[in-house]
Amino acid sequence: MTKIDLKRTGKYALLGFGVMVLLFTVGAWDRLFAASVFGIRLIYIYPGIVLLLGLFLLLYLRKMKACQNSGKKCAGLYFLQTIHRYRFLIEQLVERDFKIKYKRSVLGAFWSFLNPLLMMIVQYVVFSHLLGIRGNVEHYAIYLLCGIVIWNGFNDCSTQSMRSITANAALITKVYVPKYIYPVTKVLSASINIVLSMVPLLLVTLVYGLFSNPHLYLSKAVLLLPFGLVLLVVFCIGMGFFLSSLMVFFHDIEFLWGFVSTLWMYSTPIIYSLSMLEGKEGAQWLVNLMRFNPMYHYISFFRTIILERQSPAFAEYGICLAFSAGLFILGLLMFRKVQDKFILYL
Amino acid sequence: MTQKQELMLSVKDVSMRFRKEEDRAGSLKETVINAFTGKLKFTEFYALQHVSFDVYKGDVLGIIGRNGAGKSTILKIISGIMKPTAGSVERHGNIVPMLELGSGFDMDLSGRENVFLNGAILGYEKEFLYGKYDEILAFSELHDFINMPLRNYSSGMIMRLAFSIATVVEPEILIVDEILAVGDENFQKKSRARMMELMSGGTTVLFVSHDMNQIREMCNRVVWLDGGTVRLQGPTDEVCSQYRL
Repeated sequence: MTKIDLKRTGKYALLGFGVMVLLFTVGAWDRLFAASVFGIRLIYIYPGIVLLLGLFLLLYLRKMKACQNSGKKCAGLYFLQTIHRYRFLIEQLVERDFKIKYKRSVLGAFWSFLNPLLMMIVQYVVFSHLLGIRGNVEHYAIYLLCGIVIWNGFNDCSTQSMRSITANAALITKVYVPKYIYPVTKVLSASINIVLSMVPLLLVTLVYGLFSNPHLYLSKAVLLLPFGLVLLVVFCIGMGFFLSSLMVFFHDIEFLWGFVSTLWMYSTPIIYSLSMLEGKEGAQWLVNLMRFNPMYHYISFFRTIILERQSPAFAEYGICLAFSAGLFILGLLMFRKVQDKFILYL
Repeated sequence: MTQKQELMLSVKDVSMRFRKEEDRAGSLKETVINAFTGKLKFTEFYALQHVSFDVYKGDVLGIIGRNGAGKSTILKIISGIMKPTAGSVERHGNIVPMLELGSGFDMDLSGRENVFLNGAILGYEKEFLYGKYDEILAFSELHDFINMPLRNYSSGMIMRLAFSIATVVEPEILIVDEILAVGDENFQKKSRARMMELMSGGTTVLFVSHDMNQIREMCNRVVWLDGGTVRLQGPTDEVCSQYRL
């Protein structure tokens, strides 16, 4: 295995940790200030928690260093070594996917901005003006745009990564590359689009907010958006592991997923809001079920930040993290179990 | 035989079992139906059975045999693409497989972009590739065409580019499925010379060919596969003299 410069990696890791803490502290300050755990104001123990996490990170880095020197195995080190070894390939594959997507179009990557906007306009006109289901939702246009951007991002990631193994069959049967790389790079290249579509989301919010009554303005909670994005992308990677490995054995998944994702979309409050369902007779079960719908939680995460201009409740971070980590680990385990058989079915 | 040679590659008792294509369910529906009707049985066959051989540093090992004897399968197992049903392969060095040129090419990207994409797929380092870029371009004789998308290339141009990328490295273990001579007569001569240079330059080579003259010329040891088993292995002359289809 190649030796990696853990000193430099460590510096980056600590820097990243610092930036995260800074973003979180500033973004979620109001909640941090107000919350209390077991009767103690959270704000008093918060520095302690941060220090503890930082210390843990430092200790783990030291452990990895010791592992590298003694040649012992260690999950974190193995992960870093794989990334290090294949980072050029990952870079190239992500670049290819992103370049190809808009290669032959005139507007190019500008479509990443334009697409969600156009979608929002159509759906806004249809649902708000023609069908009148805006209910009591304030700032319905932004509410809708949040939902569309996040859902489309997820849908794009999962559909792209689903085909990643079968589409790269020519490569997989000729050259050895860890197969994880294919779904992961597909999700990464598709998630560039999610990040890009944050720009029109925030821009429209700014412009809309000026003319709406009451005014809607962006607050420092926007700093928390990266957390939501990372959680969503991890969730998508987990989904990609699942779908792409199933796809190898059953090509039906492609068509089945088209149906399942539509069903999923309509059972997630993108167009409507949860409060509209609560008023409906016989829809209570769907409201209850919503707790188990990860997409509902991710979309609410973003809506809380943009529409309510505050950090999501701390429990929401936990729920989103649990969904992301859970699906990622499950997907990874399944992928690992079946990946050696891919070649026989491609 | 010089004593104490460095072991580069050790194939230990490798077997590879396949299920026959016709019995495989292609869809969920078929699987369910087959499971219910009790037809979920597979006929199996072994592409390789208990194949073992060692390759030492500097060896040029020829692998010969009829079509379907398992030559390509053993190459795929050695390069890590397939995992054997039983047995194991020990590798001591980086392997560059030259199984099919240009399989990682993307037709919408330019030649230049494809150099980096394909190089990354073959496992080259970024710095190495940037350093060798001019050499690749010069060898491929593509000149200004390098900035055009690949879909506008002729097939000869694509092969030339693929060959130039694949042979720019000096790998420790090189796997070659048939000597690759591509392009027009001039380029064929050049590419053949490059292959010979690679294969005689101290690298360990695994080489599959049907051309016995080439085998005699290049290899110092030969493994003869027949029906998935090793029929004979040893010095080139010994095996070649007994080799009849």
